Amino acid sequence: MTNVPEAGDAGRVLPLDGMRVLEIGGGVPAAFATRWLTGYGADVVRSEGPADALDRDEEIALLTGKRRIGVPDAQLRALALAADLVVEDGKPGALAARGLDPLALRAQKPALVITSLTAFGQTGPHASCEATNLVAHAAGGILSLTGVRRRPPLANGANQALKLLGLHGFAASLTAYFGALVSGEGDWIDLSAQECAAGLLEFHGPRSAVDGLPAPRLGNRTTAIWGIYRCLDGFAGVCSLQRQARALLEGIGDPELLAPRFLDPMERMKDDKELGRRVESFFAGKTKAELLALGLRQQVPFGAVLTPRELLESDSLSERGFFDEVATPDGVARVPGRPVLGLEWKSGALAAPAADTDAVLCDWLGGAA
Amino acid sequence: MKRLPLEGVRIVDLSMMWAGPYATHLLGEMGAEVIKIEAPRAWDNVRTLFPISGPEPWNASFYFNDYNREKKGLTLDLTQPRGRELLLALVAKSDAVIENYRADVLDKLGLGFEVLRRARPDIILVSMAGFGKTGADRELVGFGPIVEQMAGLASLTGYGDDGIPYKTGISYGDPVGGTAAAGALVLALIQRRRTGQGACIDLAQRETMAQMLPEAFAAASLRGEEPVHRGNRHPVWAPQGVYPCEGKEQWLALSVRSDAEWRALCDVIGANGLVGLSLVERRARHDELDARIAAWSALQDGAAAQAALQARMIPAARMLDSDSIHWDAHLLARDFWDFMPHPRMQPNAQPAPAWRLVEANPRPRRPAPLFGEHNREILCGLLGVPEGELAELAAAGVIGDALIGAGVG
Repeated sequence: MTNVPEAGDAGRVLPLDGMRVLEIGGGVPAAFATRWLTGYGADVVRSEGPADALDRDEEIALLTGKRRIGVPDAQLRALALAADLVVEDGKPGALAARGLDPLALRAQKPALVITSLTAFGQTGPHASCEATNLVAHAAGGILSLTGVRRRPPLANGANQALKLLGLHGFAASLTAYFGALVSGEGDWIDLSAQECAAGLLEFHGPRSAVDGLPAPRLGNRTTAIWGIYRCLDGFAGVCSLQRQARALLEGIGDPELLAPRFLDPMERMKDDKELGRRVESFFAGKTKAELLALGLRQQVPFGAVLTPRELLESDSLSERGFFDEVATPDGVARVPGRPVLGLEWKSGALAAPAADTDAVLCDWLGGAA
Repeated sequence: MKRLPLEGVRIVDLSMMWAGPYATHLLGEMGAEVIKIEAPRAWDNVRTLFPISGPEPWNASFYFNDYNREKKGLTLDLTQPRGRELLLALVAKSDAVIENYRADVLDKLGLGFEVLRRARPDIILVSMAGFGKTGADRELVGFGPIVEQMAGLASLTGYGDDGIPYKTGISYGDPVGGTAAAGALVLALIQRRRTGQGACIDLAQRETMAQMLPEAFAAASLRGEEPVHRGNRHPVWAPQGVYPCEGKEQWLALSVRSDAEWRALCDVIGANGLVGLSLVERRARHDELDARIAAWSALQDGAAAQAALQARMIPAARMLDSDSIHWDAHLLARDFWDFMPHPRMQPNAQPAPAWRLVEANPRPRRPAPLFGEHNREILCGLLGVPEGELAELAAAGVIGDALIGAGVG
């Protein structure tokens, strides 16, 4: 196991210095799962998938800091055995067909962790089904809850089924890797986009499991005090629990809203539509900034619907050093960098496809290359 | 039986609602011993979010039970000196502490990182406030849907013809933040194993949510792109959409990624006159093609339509809702739903670990704790508190097995 810590840039020790990760691309899930590993010091090597597996913006966002190779399958197998973690998102059986059967690799190197990311998992009647982000999203249940009742269910933006799978891939892979450091035994992780989502239906999932009734789509308004409304310069939202309801209604400034029928949580449900109209009217006369200030003053969760462009200008994100800069042929892109503060992080450059083949073969396989 | 990767790791869980509890739920599934801290006057709100009948409604919440499995329950009033003292004694015997209070709360309780570190020099603290511990927005209050709005995702989601951004139908920021927090905690464990150093991790849920749309930031910074609401359509392929099926609220998701898939779809739906359309033409006539597909799908059973399309290698799935997902043949075949017994509730279908370690095979092991269920085990067994002190602690309200001032919401 290559777990000897080595100093990263400028003598800093990064959490994953010395860890070797092979990403067998691959679309968004595998690329997303390994993106943070490279920032935290792992040597992430991406074996390219189909040319159109990622679009240009996804490449910039997800491949920065990785080394990129193009090798035949025999060498890929040798690299897998030189790695601590292999992450792949091919169809079930695809890896084995290339001579990289996960169980065989594990038998040869017990400390190895292999993470397989698919829409439906490695087993079961749908395992070999064709899937896209939208298809996986539909199978996972979250789609059924998003959008409004009189219209079709609505997928949320930016390929969330694939990202969620990748996010779980990141955390599950690290957890198994930690176990391998402790015990010397890795594992093969079978993650499916459907299962990563199916357990996330909030109260709707367990409630339907009890009463057998499917939850409806509620659009932007779960209740009057839990929703998104139009405001003067766009859209803003509020999410108030009962413990914050009085502060919210006081903040709106209409004395009638302090009546028991609005303050009591059970009574309020009877008049939810009326309250919704009043909250809507209140939001319509305020700006996002005014609503956020009100939330701060009243200690009630208010939010504003912000765009990526607005967030790129956010003082708070800038102060926290959230964005990394990536040089591209089209200019400097700014993309999310470290996911948390408190652990050393390094930003990286975007390599060209297969640019690092020789160096990786030399570093990982030495004379065997 | 092969050991789970986090066996031997003890985590003090001060978190409430969903984001933090989801993180510790994942970590518990992987073998960590998670001790959930609540107090008689400050319980996890999820216990009482909905009205539940019975003598101990706070112990019979299906919602709470789903996301707090694999944990032990300890009550400690952290506003009282003895409660804080006992918490620090527990921290001294633990590997990590996780909390999702508002940014200023842990310090105000007198339990900031430096205090925790005096109790255990290599402790790992994961704080996961909505907007982080620093920065201009740190004092804002945030739940999952707020985080989603403030991180840019809602701005990318919409039908496209009404200009309205939409939130996800769940508090999506919570499980995203929770999953990232679980990973960050393990990262710190790996680092500690190598360096001997603990860590103070500041996770802003808004930032982990923004990480879920990194390509949108690339597009915005390079080309000044503003969000485009595409409904369910794909930016390149066509057609793609969610189409009605036979029955109430039955839907089919379908994507066509190539000319070959388009030809196969035309054959399945009986649209042979359209088979020659190029991608450019399909994109230009998307409304018309949607209507044609919907006319076919509306007469089909969703599962049968899925099978017919998949037989021709066309990506398609019947949309599962919060009920039908419990009866999905594929998930049942994979033994995804578990019926864990619970001392106060009838068993209901709960998700098994999504992190399928093929060899270690983690399965649900314990239901969510009753309120204060493990007080004696942890206080007397782990911390050495004399049995006789338990009554004093209960009388002072430091511990308890019932809520004080319970209501709904």
